[in-house]
Amino acid sequence: MTGTVLRAGAWPAVAGISGAAVVVGGFGAAFPAAATVLLPVCFTLLAAAAAFTLDEPASLVVDVTPTGPVRRTQIRAVALLAPLAAGALVLLATAARGLALPWGATGLALAGNVLLGFAAACVARTRTGEPGAVVGTAIVLVLMAPALEPHVARWVRTFPAPGAGGLSSDTVWWTVLAVCAVAIAVSLGGRSLPSWMSTVPISRRRRSYPTVQPP
Amino acid sequence: MTATLTSGPPATSPGRATFTALAIRETRRLVLNPVFLFAVAFITFALWAGPDAGQTEIDTANPYPAIFLGGFGMMATFWLTRSMRASEPVVGVTPVTQPVRTAALCAVAIVPFACGCLAILRFVQLIPVSSPLYGPFSPSARVAVLVGQIVIPALGGPLLGVALGRWVQFPGAAFVLFLLIYGWVSLVTILTMSHASSALVAVLRLFAPFAFFTYTGDTHSAGFAVTAWRGSPWFFIGWQLALCAIAVLVALLRGAEGRVRTRIIRALAIAGAAALILLVLAALGGFTYPLTA
Repeated sequence: MTGTVLRAGAWPAVAGISGAAVVVGGFGAAFPAAATVLLPVCFTLLAAAAAFTLDEPASLVVDVTPTGPVRRTQIRAVALLAPLAAGALVLLATAARGLALPWGATGLALAGNVLLGFAAACVARTRTGEPGAVVGTAIVLVLMAPALEPHVARWVRTFPAPGAGGLSSDTVWWTVLAVCAVAIAVSLGGRSLPSWMSTVPISRRRRSYPTVQPP
Repeated sequence: MTATLTSGPPATSPGRATFTALAIRETRRLVLNPVFLFAVAFITFALWAGPDAGQTEIDTANPYPAIFLGGFGMMATFWLTRSMRASEPVVGVTPVTQPVRTAALCAVAIVPFACGCLAILRFVQLIPVSSPLYGPFSPSARVAVLVGQIVIPALGGPLLGVALGRWVQFPGAAFVLFLLIYGWVSLVTILTMSHASSALVAVLRLFAPFAFFTYTGDTHSAGFAVTAWRGSPWFFIGWQLALCAIAVLVALLRGAEGRVRTRIIRALAIAGAAALILLVLAALGGFTYPLTA
């Protein structure tokens, strides 16, 4: 069953965006002067790739099968290895080029980006079967905000680049990791969601379908 | 009697009326799109607040309209185009052909274009063209730099979104392309900082829908000053307009049949050749070496 659930994943999207991230990150490694600009773009793409891991075109059927959302999400989480491996590859290439980055903080930023994309997808999956596109777009807009708008960069940093002000990226990503863990747990539990998250009729109806527990 | 019958206003052709109705409908959808609304709100705020006190360069504020009206506009029109995909089996049997519907979608770009025009007017009010922040460019070239950085991207981004929406199935294509263009422009700009005299780097910098033409910083010899990079801002506008034409033609090509398709392909070849020539002229024209004011 694990193989079936994994096979149904949006692999072209996850692999395609991860590939684009590797290209962007590769340019960052090749041109060290541009690394602090291109690596955040690479990580943002990886977060967007993670947002596609829960896409399920056949959700109307799959959501009423005996396999619960926790199990399905656990299996689909394996797909996160693709963006994480792509990010690790980029970081290895960057290290091989001799760039002096704070590797611990950079690794944390990579993990935080990927988990943020996945957590947002988990929350959106309670409303729609294919959250990837919408969540991916939203994640891109949020994560690119410090790069696009310098005022935001003064308050918060999403990449451990030296010399910037605001909250350090470590603080940001540890907080994000904690919030993501809670969001994933809550969305998988299917309860205690804010009222605005459970107002879509089809979502309510789907959750109330009787399910058969496996023996 | 005949004179009485023919003296009234000429009747509007049904095809034109349909196109106008479609264009108005699509425009209404665009202006209600949350991504586009956010972009307009942000631009309004940024231009209303004005530049920071003591700002020493125009390049910190210049990219906003390109990013928000162009980039976010691209995402908005991409969604707008894709949103009709589900209803294609129904819409496809109506008398209106897909190229006409695509043309109506392209017509919505007039809204971000108008926003870009307003943005440049406000920008010139905040930083007059006579300001030394523009570097050693002539007054007309300064206007060309601003038009190429503010107005044309606001037109081209949404057109690109329509073309992308017509041809690409992947729903995340718009944000991936946005990030790739952002990464590319950043990379070639950073490369130019260290290789300002290189002709190849100048071509690479201008091989984008948006390009910087000045750099403000410590030049060692002249101290803190504005340096104008290689390239002609006027020919760059021509390159950008050729890209806009290519985007429209590529969008129209989807669903075109018969003679219309042949004409579009021929026009696409001409626009492609024109774009190539204009890119070369943009790289070779203007200052042929970096000039510090």
